[in-house]
Amino acid sequence: MNEKQIQWSVGVLGALGVATVILLHWMVFFWVPTEATMGVVQRIFYIHVPAWWIAFVGFGLVGLCSAVYLWLGDERLDRAAVAGAEAGMVFTTIGLLTGPLWGRVAWGTWWEWEPRLTSALILWFIYLGYFLVRRSTANPEQGKKFAAVIGIIGVLDIPLIHVSVTWLRSLHPQAVILSAENPMNLDGSMGATIGVGLLAFSLIFASLFLARYAVAGYERELDLRDARLVGAQAVEA
Amino acid sequence: MRAYLALVWAVTRKDLLVEFRTYERLTAMGAFAVLVGVLFNFSIDTAVVRPQDIAAALIWMTIIFGGMLGMGRTFRLEEEDGALAGILQSPIPLHALYLGKVLGNFILLSAMATLVFFVFGLFFRLSFSGNPVVLVAIVGLGVLGFVSLTTLFSAMATRSSMGESLLPVLVFPLLVPVVVYGATATDRLFAGRPVVEVGGNLRMLAAFAIIFTVAGAGLFRFVIEE
Repeated sequence: MNEKQIQWSVGVLGALGVATVILLHWMVFFWVPTEATMGVVQRIFYIHVPAWWIAFVGFGLVGLCSAVYLWLGDERLDRAAVAGAEAGMVFTTIGLLTGPLWGRVAWGTWWEWEPRLTSALILWFIYLGYFLVRRSTANPEQGKKFAAVIGIIGVLDIPLIHVSVTWLRSLHPQAVILSAENPMNLDGSMGATIGVGLLAFSLIFASLFLARYAVAGYERELDLRDARLVGAQAVEA
Repeated sequence: MRAYLALVWAVTRKDLLVEFRTYERLTAMGAFAVLVGVLFNFSIDTAVVRPQDIAAALIWMTIIFGGMLGMGRTFRLEEEDGALAGILQSPIPLHALYLGKVLGNFILLSAMATLVFFVFGLFFRLSFSGNPVVLVAIVGLGVLGFVSLTTLFSAMATRSSMGESLLPVLVFPLLVPVVVYGATATDRLFAGRPVVEVGGNLRMLAAFAIIFTVAGAGLFRFVIEE
């Protein structure tokens, strides 16, 4: 895609995303019926669950793009990885904020050392390391390689972290939508709401992703221009 | 295979030789372990908590924090003297360099972990009646998993502008499985529980150590090359 097409797609996807998010909130507050056992607080689930799905898509993208970047060395893959990481971090943060809000009512406590919550917090910190390392090298190319290594190690470690904290203790409500024994047992309107949530967040994610991807391209151009300027000054001197 | 192992051992031997000439890292880690034991002793109100109940957790935290101190300096010498360029130009494959560094760190940290167990055993009057071989296996595998990650990331931290302060931020989140399985297994063994109860911990620690030693060996060249 060229620059114009990317800018255009960012705008369209972003506008559609915001519209769908508004629709989602209308559905969550006025349309979908209240769940029988948990009551009103269950409505946060329509924001919480899609946010996590998207966060994991983002993280998967980081791992995949990082691995292929180290393999092929294509600049665009690194741009995709950092775009996926930043957009993924936004949704990880949404998931981390909405989880405790629900937990305060359902479990009676803001924080609980529950496996998914714990893994999510750790995932957030792995993302943080990913960004820190990118910015802390004098040579940007080196920072990209460092970040890609963290992306790969993180993807390898997350399942182990999850297994270990699950083994330690478990309180989180079991996955209801993608569970093997009891697949898709949601009421139709609840399923529709979660679908709209997923669509809304996917659109926002795609828009953020493309915007960040384009910005990463501009950053690279600036770096190259700086390097040329320094080179020219060196020649003059 | 023999030639490869000789290369790995050459790196390890060089690191250990430098260490045993100066005792820089061992002194720092050893003093840290003993002093932390002293401070922990003063920070626990024995009227409320029995130190024996939390000893395993304290032991593992001391190994990890103290280990950070030593492991963060893994590549300092090479970076300072420009020796890295020399090593990179030598015909040694980079995974052998990594494995040599891991082995050197493993030996140093194992020595420190042994000291930690003796010091804490003494300070907190711990008694161990379980199977020592299983305890050694748990600590050994935990330490191997720990050094496989910290060796990789210390190369990164040394070459970044944040230096060693970057290392804990990068490594602590990734170390959760080592802490979970290592500390609970140590707890159970000290509490005199049967060895079967820690079989799962042993397998998970072994999996962690293998996965990250192999991944580290594969990814090391992206961290060390210019």
